[in-house]
Amino acid sequence: MTDRRRLLGMAVPFVAVLGSMIVGLLLIAASGKDVPDAIEAFMDGAFGSAFAIGASINRAVTLSLVGLGFILAFRANLTNVGGEGQIAVGGIAATALGLWPPIASLPLGLAVIVPLLGGTLAGAFWGGIAGFMKVRFGTNEVISTLLLGFVALLAVYWCVQSTALLRQPQTSSATLPESLQIADAAKLPSLTGNAESPLHIGLVICLLLAVATAIVLQRSTFGLRLRAIGLNELAARRAGMPGGIMMVVALAMAGAFGGLAGAIMLQGEQYYLKTGFSSGYGFDGLVVGLLSRGSTLGVLAGALFFGFLRSGGISMEIMAQVPAALTLVIQGLIVIAVAGSVILVEKLQGAR
Amino acid sequence: MTSSAGSLLSLNNLGKRFGSLQALEGVSLDVRAGSVQCLLGENGAGKSTLCNLIFGVYEPSEGDMVFDGAAWAPESPAVALEKGIAMVHQHFSLVPRMTVVENLMLGQVRGVLKRHEFGARIRDIAENFGFTLDPDAVVGELSVGERQRAEIVKCLMRDPKLLVLDEPTAVLPPGEIGALLDICRRVADSGRAVILVTHKLAEIAKVADRVAVLRTGRLVADESMAEADMGALVHAMVGRELRPLDVALAETDEDVEASEAPKGFALVCDGLTVHDRHGAVRLDNFTLEIRPGEIVGLAGVEGNGQSELGMVLAGLLRPTEGHFYIAGNDLTHAGAAAVTAAGGGIVPEDRHAVACVTAMSVAENMFLNKLDRFTRFGLLQRGALNAAAQKQMQEFDVRAAGPEVAFSGLSGGNQQKAVLARELTLDPLVALVAAQPTRGLDVSAVEAVYRQIRAAARRGVGVLLISSELDELLAVADRVAVLYRGRLVGERPAEMNERGAIGALMSGQVA
Repeated sequence: MTDRRRLLGMAVPFVAVLGSMIVGLLLIAASGKDVPDAIEAFMDGAFGSAFAIGASINRAVTLSLVGLGFILAFRANLTNVGGEGQIAVGGIAATALGLWPPIASLPLGLAVIVPLLGGTLAGAFWGGIAGFMKVRFGTNEVISTLLLGFVALLAVYWCVQSTALLRQPQTSSATLPESLQIADAAKLPSLTGNAESPLHIGLVICLLLAVATAIVLQRSTFGLRLRAIGLNELAARRAGMPGGIMMVVALAMAGAFGGLAGAIMLQGEQYYLKTGFSSGYGFDGLVVGLLSRGSTLGVLAGALFFGFLRSGGISMEIMAQVPAALTLVIQGLIVIAVAGSVILVEKLQGAR
Repeated sequence: MTSSAGSLLSLNNLGKRFGSLQALEGVSLDVRAGSVQCLLGENGAGKSTLCNLIFGVYEPSEGDMVFDGAAWAPESPAVALEKGIAMVHQHFSLVPRMTVVENLMLGQVRGVLKRHEFGARIRDIAENFGFTLDPDAVVGELSVGERQRAEIVKCLMRDPKLLVLDEPTAVLPPGEIGALLDICRRVADSGRAVILVTHKLAEIAKVADRVAVLRTGRLVADESMAEADMGALVHAMVGRELRPLDVALAETDEDVEASEAPKGFALVCDGLTVHDRHGAVRLDNFTLEIRPGEIVGLAGVEGNGQSELGMVLAGLLRPTEGHFYIAGNDLTHAGAAAVTAAGGGIVPEDRHAVACVTAMSVAENMFLNKLDRFTRFGLLQRGALNAAAQKQMQEFDVRAAGPEVAFSGLSGGNQQKAVLARELTLDPLVALVAAQPTRGLDVSAVEAVYRQIRAAARRGVGVLLISSELDELLAVADRVAVLYRGRLVGERPAEMNERGAIGALMSGQVA
């Protein structure tokens, strides 16, 4: 029975994704582009080279971190939709610390660690605000995390527009509103040593945190308490759990993961802060978290899938001139197919 | 017995299996139009399963049904409702913020809403069956009894031939039970059939025409009420002779004096006052002192401040004024964890909302406030937790397939025993506040709960027993205080001949 179930559980989403990809190709054909060209561009962008693979995995790291934070808070029945903003404040903090003059002279890799921690704390603070508002004023966290996200995005804008903050000191009509590059010492070390591949140690950090998250959710007393609060807050409080504090902590943890994702993006690949520094990773990470249904492995799998999809999509846009909007449509179709197939599998399994 | 003439619903050898569990087996029963059929049984005897088969929630594994002269196999409750069977569930399905008429229009009307017309229909139906219901009242502000009547009208609007009521009296204060039974009678007199599911023996005698008894999924009695012998019915229901509650509980009464109380009070309430959000007084200057080893019953019709008192003593509600102390510690503003730490065991009145997390396991629930005991380096030692739970389940006779099964799978009685086990095993345990601890439980579970409470008192625990079942208070408590409109209006010794006086206090007549 379990074999059959497992088979069903894998086959249905696979067929659904395949189906939505075929629909996507039909859409590309309908828009008058050359389909084989588009496929080639997609494969090139996603898997074509060491660079492509590294970039895809780096994307997946960002998405995983946001997704892991999401499932942590979701265990307490809190929906964190502020990943985008948490990435942004993490990026700001990491940039500020990465540009801090003494950073380069710190020993023992602290030059890398300090900005990472700074980004994490900034994200935790940002998530914690939403938690505090929820506990103190009853503000729905979906609204507050989302709106705080806009505040954070505009804060990035402000930071890179003002030389008093993080904008590069020499500005002219030719320079874009950006920060300077962070110190070399603050950049994340490469994982492979291969100059071709952008793959950095963010992957290791992400996998370690994934294991930690799985342990917290499945084995720890804290995870059980989060679950109790998510299922029945009143009963959890009666049993002596500090419901309010736990909620703030849960959202702060979700924020911390987002902030760390922002710091890793900045220190790993981008190296300087600019507007639009996170183009939707927070929201893709949210989708990854939602589709995982609380499973850490699910987050990793979903993040990998979306990471490659996004890389391929970008390449399709550039190389095969497939409109950007169309790749987003295809992504959306896939999300619906996966989400729908999860429900379908449950129904089919429930029927026996 | 095969289907006979005049029967509205016939069940023929009906069975239902869930996995390896045979929930129902070989049930044959005829329900006649114009009669009230009682279905009696302990929790877990299969009453709800049987109702769910009739109402189309489940499909039978064996046997068949005939309803109104045709084979009956509804695919869903919606179909059952359409074809003439309506059911009032134990848990109401009304939206609290909406008015009665709005609630009853849900799913019944399309297009333009004609509130007045609909409201008039509600009034008519209520009047027809001998009660009143204000269609424009907001459901959240109605008493439990009124909400139930709204549910009944909702069913009657569909003009059903058969009305099924699942444990309708479990939620009612004593004063409203009579009214409900009257309504049942009138519904039956209008030519419909009524199935009344209950485990309270005493009340069925007043209204039932026939009574059927289920035990562990089998029909063990099916007779006319006129011929039925109450003792035989109890025997059929629990499968063994039951001693009367007060005898069973009073047997070790002498010991109470023996363990003469240490100095001080176990629980002191000093002028507790609670205002609700709208400023209305819910609990008014409530003062009560309970000595170690003493059981104080708090009687009162529900809704007279018991819930608020329970929430305050549980550490979940801050009183507007006043203080309470457990073993001399002021815990008024200390919160639930401090109440537990100070030795305050709490059995909340609303088990599902406050006492447990039904989606979690039995073990997790039994140690919900003691998880730290099983935590090493932040990790939960599940093996130790489950072993401890297993031990406690045996000790307190909590029947479940194992410590890891979901709490929601337990019957009400076993859930309550588990909650009681958790609270009675606090260390130290100074005071126990049990609110409506036997509500919805079957006879043997009631007995078990009170045996445990008595035993705790004998060990020197001060017990506050909040209940609307006066007979139980009289059987278990040492003295009975009465709450009326949030005020303590009097106190009487817990003796049978005080029953009238206490009843008068409960109804607000100053004694």
